[in-house]
Amino acid sequence: MQFPLKTVGCLAAVLLAFSGIAQTRETAEFTAAQTSLNKYCIACHSAKNAVGGFRLDSVASPESLRTEARRWVRLAARVREFEMPPKNAPAPTLDEREKLLNWVEGAVRRKACADGPVPGPAMIRRLNRDEYASTIRDLFELHIDIGNLLPAEGAGGEGFDNAAETLFLSPLHSEKYLELAKMVTEFAAKDFKPRARVLIAQPGPDLTPDAAARQILAAFLPRAFRRPITGADLDPYLSLFAAARQRGQTFEGAIFFALRGVLVSPMFLYLSEPPNPGPAARPADQFALASRLSYFLWGSMPDELLFDLAADGKLQEPAVLRELTGRMLRNDRSLVFAQRFVEQWLHTRELAGNKAPDAKLYPTWAADEDLRSDIRFQPILFFREILIRDRPILDLLDSKHTIGTNNLEKHLGLKLPLNANQRQQPQWTELPEGSRRGGLLGMPALLTVSSHPHRTSPVLRGAFILENILGTPPPPPPPNVPPLEETKEGATPKSVRARLELHRTNPQCASCHSRIDPIGFALENYDVMGRWRDTDGGQPVDAKAEMADGTRIDGPQELKAALLARRDAFTRNLTSKLLGFALGRGLTLADSCTVDAIVTRVREHNYSSQTLLEEIVLSVPFRQQAPPSTQKEK
Amino acid sequence: MISRRNALRGLGVSLGLPWLEGMAAPAPAARMPGAAGRGRPPVRMAALYLPNGVNVNAWTPIGSGRNFALSPTLAPLADVKNDIVVMSNLWNEATKGGDGHYVKEAAILTCRTIKKTPGADIANGISVDQVAARKSAALTPIPSLELGVSPVAIGVDAVVGYTRIYGSHIAWSSPTTPLARELNPRSVYERLYRATSGQDAGAAKLDGLLLDRVLEDASRLRGQVGTQDRHRIDEYLSVMRSLEERADRAASASSAPWKPRAAMKAGAAPTDRPNGHAEHVRLMMDMIAVAFQADTTRVATFMFGNSVSDISFRFVDGVNSSHHEVSHHQKDPDKLRQYAIISRWHVEQYAYLLRKLKSMREGEGTVLDNSLILFASALSDGNRHSPHNLPLVLGGRGGGRIDAGRHLVYAEDSPLSNLYVSMLDAFGAPMERFADSTGPLAGLMKG
Repeated sequence: MQFPLKTVGCLAAVLLAFSGIAQTRETAEFTAAQTSLNKYCIACHSAKNAVGGFRLDSVASPESLRTEARRWVRLAARVREFEMPPKNAPAPTLDEREKLLNWVEGAVRRKACADGPVPGPAMIRRLNRDEYASTIRDLFELHIDIGNLLPAEGAGGEGFDNAAETLFLSPLHSEKYLELAKMVTEFAAKDFKPRARVLIAQPGPDLTPDAAARQILAAFLPRAFRRPITGADLDPYLSLFAAARQRGQTFEGAIFFALRGVLVSPMFLYLSEPPNPGPAARPADQFALASRLSYFLWGSMPDELLFDLAADGKLQEPAVLRELTGRMLRNDRSLVFAQRFVEQWLHTRELAGNKAPDAKLYPTWAADEDLRSDIRFQPILFFREILIRDRPILDLLDSKHTIGTNNLEKHLGLKLPLNANQRQQPQWTELPEGSRRGGLLGMPALLTVSSHPHRTSPVLRGAFILENILGTPPPPPPPNVPPLEETKEGATPKSVRARLELHRTNPQCASCHSRIDPIGFALENYDVMGRWRDTDGGQPVDAKAEMADGTRIDGPQELKAALLARRDAFTRNLTSKLLGFALGRGLTLADSCTVDAIVTRVREHNYSSQTLLEEIVLSVPFRQQAPPSTQKEK
Repeated sequence: MISRRNALRGLGVSLGLPWLEGMAAPAPAARMPGAAGRGRPPVRMAALYLPNGVNVNAWTPIGSGRNFALSPTLAPLADVKNDIVVMSNLWNEATKGGDGHYVKEAAILTCRTIKKTPGADIANGISVDQVAARKSAALTPIPSLELGVSPVAIGVDAVVGYTRIYGSHIAWSSPTTPLARELNPRSVYERLYRATSGQDAGAAKLDGLLLDRVLEDASRLRGQVGTQDRHRIDEYLSVMRSLEERADRAASASSAPWKPRAAMKAGAAPTDRPNGHAEHVRLMMDMIAVAFQADTTRVATFMFGNSVSDISFRFVDGVNSSHHEVSHHQKDPDKLRQYAIISRWHVEQYAYLLRKLKSMREGEGTVLDNSLILFASALSDGNRHSPHNLPLVLGGRGGGRIDAGRHLVYAEDSPLSNLYVSMLDAFGAPMERFADSTGPLAGLMKG
């Protein structure tokens, strides 16, 4: 049933009589927005004619800002990106568009934020294979690479493989866990450091084997379970020790058998927190927070200092957390964080898989392992240096510095002031004046991963930047897209640019491709491996383009300037990605309050990267635990 | 048993193809349960999944019934033409909406409509292979093999709003549990080897004991976590329990012991770094073959690539592009030509597996006679993302139940799930209905 605007207006009028001035303004704004939507959208989105299944009456009540928040967000996104109204239909002026969008965005978030930032669910989650391998390494001080023996995880939420909701357990995992527990304890039993770590007591004249075992397990279990233990925690493993002894195992054999049990226990394999009895949110448990911090910034278990701070009950203090964040970042272990975050955020893991340049066309890639490794690590190390040096996050878009090695220097055709003694080592280095290589977009890793293996693609690169840099992914192509018709002359144009231009003459395609393609065109001077080229297939490269909002750009530097002009979209996207990674789950609309608050703080601090990281660690969802019923938003 | 370290020592030694001959040999007759004593040999089921559809112009055979001519794409099956059934006009109705790939491909073996989600509330159905595996799990050392060659696709496809987990998993043990795949041929071989050679009862007993205590601990944790987390612990409990049952079976002398139908050789593990896509795929085909021959498992799934796979096929003569890209041919004759070559390449790998199984004698026939090997794509024309008239071939005779050597042409839009009802029947796990099935697939089976 259609909800005519007038009804809403009447209802609003009744409400008005009872409420204050703020309410009046809100109602007036709501009415104005409805007027605008009715003017431009109703023709195609009424009950009778609901194009794309979207009916305007589903968002006609003020209450819909809360109940239909997702619809509102999507509506705003499509209008913002000039996809709606479609090209040939009457469109709002830029001013009208802007007003509507600002209002929708604010109103939806105000509704969702009515109760301020909320913690959101902190679900039990399995260690993924990288976390498992690092935790084993730190738990035993045993340096073996075992991560590859486990199946890789997929990803959910904000696109990371640590998202609780998508860390399933397959029969294959259970087999591997059992097998790895055996293998790890066998190695540990033979290695000096792990033995010293584990065997802190020996049976002797004054110590029975059982008492020694109790001491050993009482020291080991809290580190394995990442929390203090009780007698009930100890019992099953003491009984494993006793059972092994009964079967004639040596003292040590029985200890390591009990440890095998620890390594397949869910207390070890899963990060779980003592449940909050409710009814209100509460500060997260100290030891839970220690693990949240260490798995965020190190991808592994807490170290002694974190355990000590938790035991002293100091981990909730903001000053302590700020200090810790910097300290943890400067620790070598944060390299794992940088690698896992950047490679998933920017998809550069795929450089080792499907996205590797074709070996026949790009033999350098296939042949030069050092160069491949330098290319892969460049954005990772760059990101980490930006954080450690507290550079603005905008440096990720354009910067006077980069990570250089002699291989990269050669590959990019640059002269870099590299440290003469360690030219092979990746290092923070200044770019020459006027270089086009500043920021992530100048790095081969990104340019390669957003290409086909055999050729560059303005569409792939454009969509890559919209999705991963600005956080505004293009919507899917409409179903049943008609294939590109041949031109009247009978031949499809050969050049990619010409084909795409033809493509955009179809208004259905143009609504999205007019914002995807220009970004890619501006990067056409970079080949599949990210090298600069002035010609492509004998033709001079044309890197000129007109952005969807009408801005004309030419080449990568002007593209970066255009992206910098949208710094808030970028900041919001990076914040969401980092928050999702930190929390190990997907974000909900309620989390947008937290994201907004962090973005505001970061902006106030000149886009300081350290502020960004600290604010995430200090945020409500990172530090607090929701009551059991906070599952209202799915 | 080969220890992990011994296995690692040989790392990097590529044995090259063909090496399978050296790997498995029929078990001595004395160890074989006599065909008469134990009845018919077991029926095995595998599904090989091809992403991105096929060039439909080069797919469909000419003629129907027993008198049909293989199409250019299916030509590599000439040697085994009498062992296959090509099916036309089946479709997967549950996948008609949604996006072009994930909806179609995640549901190729489930025939359900997956839930559109970045991950929090993932939902599909149980896949046909897992329905079969439930039946055979207790009869073999490994319940089922999930194999692939491309790492699980990372992230959420923000353009269409589906987690890429959907695109990397065709085997689902429950609507919310996609099964992880193995990609490394060496570790698959080692796993099969360990399972096939069997564990000594003492070690199995210890494993059983260990799992028993750990399960107790897990039940305690279950009582401590919030209700919304309980399903995770339940998942853990159920998976670990079945592992414990397996250990108990291996430890117990009283239950009828499983015996390999063929022995596996210790030194024959393949490389863990295959030289290119082609070798990688071949090695995985070998793994299915050896597992089926030894009866280490009776159920397997294999993915030639993930959803939207864009593997470069320039290693094949006449191709200068990648898979997903040519599948969007937009009627360009050159792309269509390459698309057909790539489709055919996949059929060649399938034919390789069928021939391999056919070369393995078993009782009066061959392992292929006792298998159901499905080759399937979830799309017909990749350019249109169409779930109509799916490319489907069933190899093997399912223990003599399948009337092979035919091209079966059904009424347009007949349900794919009917095929699964028939396959489950031949496998020995009959079900009245599977997803949206309307009955068995008419005319597939004998009698």
